[in-house]
Amino acid sequence: MSYQTLLDAVIKGDIKTAKEETLKAVDASQNAQDILDQGLIEAMNVVGDNFSKGAIFVPQMLRSAKTMQECVEVLKPHFQENAMTTKGNIVLGTVKGDLHDIGKNLVGMMLEGAGFNIIDLGVDVAPEVFVDKIKEANADVLGMSALLSTTMPSMSLTIKALADLGLRDTVKVIIGGAPVTRKYAEDIGADSYASDAGAAVHETKKLLNIT
Amino acid sequence: MKNLVRMKILIVDDDPGIQKLIKNMLAKDGYKNIQIAGSGEEALEMMKKTPPDLVVLDIQLPGMKGYEVSQKMRANKSTAHIPILMMTGGNIDKDKALEKSFRAGVTDFITKPIKKVEFTARVKAALTIKKNYNLMQKEPNKRKLSKKVTKKKVWLNILPDDMWIKVQRGMTVWNALQNTEIELEGDCGGLGKCGKCKIRVITPLGKPSKETLELIDSDELEQGVRLACRTKIFKNLAIYTEELNGETEFFQILKHGHMPPVELAPLIERRLVTIPPPSIENSLSDVHRIREVLSPEFHDLKTTYRCLSSLYKNLRTTNFDGAAIIHNNCLLEWQSRDNIGGVFGLIFDLGTSTLVGKLVNLIEGQEVAVISRFNSQRKYGADVISRIQYIKGSPKRLVHLQKLLVKDLNLITKRLLESFRLKLKDILVAVAAGNTTMQHFMLSLDPSGIAEAPFTPLITEGMTFMARDVGLRLHPDAMLYVMPAKSGYIGGDLIGFILSSGAAEQDDKLVLGMDLGTNSEIFLGNKNRMLTCSAAAGPALEGARISHGMIAKAGAIESFRFEENDLFYNVIGNIKPKGLCGSGLVDIAALLLHHGIVNPEGLIYPPDQHKKRNSMTARVIQTQENEIHDFLLASPRDSLDGKPIVLTQKDIRELQLAKAAIASGIKILLKTMGAGIEDIDDIYLAGALGNYVHPFSAMRIGLLPKVNPAKIISLGNAASTGANMILLSKRYWERSAEIATDLEHLELSGHADFFDSFIEEMNFPTENLW
Repeated sequence: MSYQTLLDAVIKGDIKTAKEETLKAVDASQNAQDILDQGLIEAMNVVGDNFSKGAIFVPQMLRSAKTMQECVEVLKPHFQENAMTTKGNIVLGTVKGDLHDIGKNLVGMMLEGAGFNIIDLGVDVAPEVFVDKIKEANADVLGMSALLSTTMPSMSLTIKALADLGLRDTVKVIIGGAPVTRKYAEDIGADSYASDAGAAVHETKKLLNIT
Repeated sequence: MKNLVRMKILIVDDDPGIQKLIKNMLAKDGYKNIQIAGSGEEALEMMKKTPPDLVVLDIQLPGMKGYEVSQKMRANKSTAHIPILMMTGGNIDKDKALEKSFRAGVTDFITKPIKKVEFTARVKAALTIKKNYNLMQKEPNKRKLSKKVTKKKVWLNILPDDMWIKVQRGMTVWNALQNTEIELEGDCGGLGKCGKCKIRVITPLGKPSKETLELIDSDELEQGVRLACRTKIFKNLAIYTEELNGETEFFQILKHGHMPPVELAPLIERRLVTIPPPSIENSLSDVHRIREVLSPEFHDLKTTYRCLSSLYKNLRTTNFDGAAIIHNNCLLEWQSRDNIGGVFGLIFDLGTSTLVGKLVNLIEGQEVAVISRFNSQRKYGADVISRIQYIKGSPKRLVHLQKLLVKDLNLITKRLLESFRLKLKDILVAVAAGNTTMQHFMLSLDPSGIAEAPFTPLITEGMTFMARDVGLRLHPDAMLYVMPAKSGYIGGDLIGFILSSGAAEQDDKLVLGMDLGTNSEIFLGNKNRMLTCSAAAGPALEGARISHGMIAKAGAIESFRFEENDLFYNVIGNIKPKGLCGSGLVDIAALLLHHGIVNPEGLIYPPDQHKKRNSMTARVIQTQENEIHDFLLASPRDSLDGKPIVLTQKDIRELQLAKAAIASGIKILLKTMGAGIEDIDDIYLAGALGNYVHPFSAMRIGLLPKVNPAKIISLGNAASTGANMILLSKRYWERSAEIATDLEHLELSGHADFFDSFIEEMNFPTENLW
């Protein structure tokens, strides 16, 4: 079955059509996981790319993400034993001393749209809080954000705290935020850097070898 | 002396012989402005029309006597202060005449036959008194700023020194520069013959004079080269005085502000005082006698050690008749009346990138010179956060940054004083305003708390220090006032802005104020409630993170307009463009929205999707192979470096972020206030961008709420205006502290409504405004 109408509706952020299309697909006895992967997640891939190149902007991206969430709600009861597979667990947060969360929130939504499970710790998150959550959730990826150059060092401290507990190899670390650069990511031993929410999805998939 | 000869002298005598004699003596001394009256009645009538600076009055007149003329003059407010030199005949009782004359209020006294030497000296003394009176009136605090005086003067900005001087309208550049340290070449003394006093005029100007056309070749003329001696200054003018080359750059930094009327009561008061010399009857100490004379106004006057140590000598060299310089009920100095000490004060605007210093005449209540320079701290970070990171944990580095700043301020001071031939010791007061971090740096206080949540500064109260404690080289007892702040990101500069806007004095008007920049401070309210927030707009409005963005300096496109099917722009410095600055960015975005080339979501449409097709369509270009389009602002042929100047899709996105941050800040303030856009009565803009941005464009892109444009008023460099108001009227010092205390500060990051509102405001408005 072709999901083109569903894809277009999610890309456009047309919640009504997208939900209808999702139901249609379910009624046509399509596998829920297929609808999710080939319909919704695929659409969000396009949305992420469009965002990265500038063809759409934040409000449009959010609209698509919201559309996808609504469709996922429609799909949920149709997963066998409710076992929606996740592409990975991601712990996300804005570092200690920093209260800026808009960019981090966008990253969270896009990653969710790409099929990841997001554990968002919010803002002003201390290294030990990150570490505890990573252990608890058995996270695959840690995403950290900072908007102030003065709070950036906290990223490095978190990575150090992970290493001290021997957890550094269990989790991939990706960082971002206005003053953060790829060079800085390399300097502090992070695994990757993302310049925007679209890139964050792209880089995360690369880190986890997801195509 | 130069100033005295232009002063008006009225001779009152019925004897034509005496009239002629006096007139000749005055003319010989160079006086140019002499009038004659034959009787006291005529003299009083003439004074009504044009009050003279000195009346030379005969004691024995037909009709109204000299005494009566004097009494009448003293009784009339407009003539009460005019010095009177009374002439008496030799045949009357001298002592009696003397007593009678002084009782009638005459200033000085000369006996006929008049000796030339004596006459010259007495006229000069009397005129000096009047000149000093003009300079400093006895009760200046009762006087409001005269609008007329301000109108007749205009600013001349001399680059690359970036000196600003106030000059009489109509004066030539050559003459204006005679009073400065700046020397132009020239053999003919300003006659328009040698053609050597070349300057480059930056401000748009009119047709060159005949001499200029003859002496300057057409290439140079086109570049704005003119002769200083033939260029009259009719409006604010910027000129460049050095040899021109490709590297010539100047920056559009805003230094002037809109000053509301202020009742003069400067922080430093200069009172002309006569105290009784010590005598058997009054043998109280010198300080006691000063205190006695000043007691109605200054209760229990204090003094400083430094003042006391020179007081004995100073009182006696001035014959107990001098000027008392008083700060906050404390006598700082006693000096001679014609000394200039305490007449001027300083203002420092501590910008993160630019420092501005102003010299203010405290008696006349006017800014007389302005100088700016780049903040030397810039090499340790463009923004305050990077500088805080630099000093973090290193007291030595903090001291280093403080020293750099004070060194800059001392250099600014030196140059400001030079242009008026003042000495450091003549300045007894300075007021500094800046963002909270810069104010911390100035005082060597650690601002590290500001750089991390919860963004806590060390101190927010306004402070008064000895200027020397901070390292400012002024009078040894000079005072430094540092403005009160509200929080880590709401600094003394915003308090100065609120002060100068008068918003906190409004009873029922709702005032919105914005200082647009990387951190845009916004306030909303009036006397009853005042809210403020700081919106992290990012550097797009200052030209950073924009492909061809630049700060507002020579070569930056500062505005666009679309006329007769063509796009036009203005470039700072009258040269070919290198890029665009914040005001240009806002302008072009508004035009693109207006013409439907950019949609409200911020997408640049490809040419085939344009609804209207005009010359703008052809400028939409595809530079990458990904369906994304950019907009060509200037072709390689039209640009300075032969490379195209382009506004990219990404640039529009950056602008959307900046705009959204500011617009959502406004929205949250309005919501908290329980008001809507329609309730806003006035919008005040501060800072350079606020001054140059086109209100219609700003409204079209949603940077400003859509209101009647008449409500939008640019206040210019409002921070320094606020500091100036404090300098000129001490009640504003207390007022600024009250404003800071009463302000309610909203922290946007983490505010419940901020995320939704920010996202919502990223789209541009859909409606066209013109």
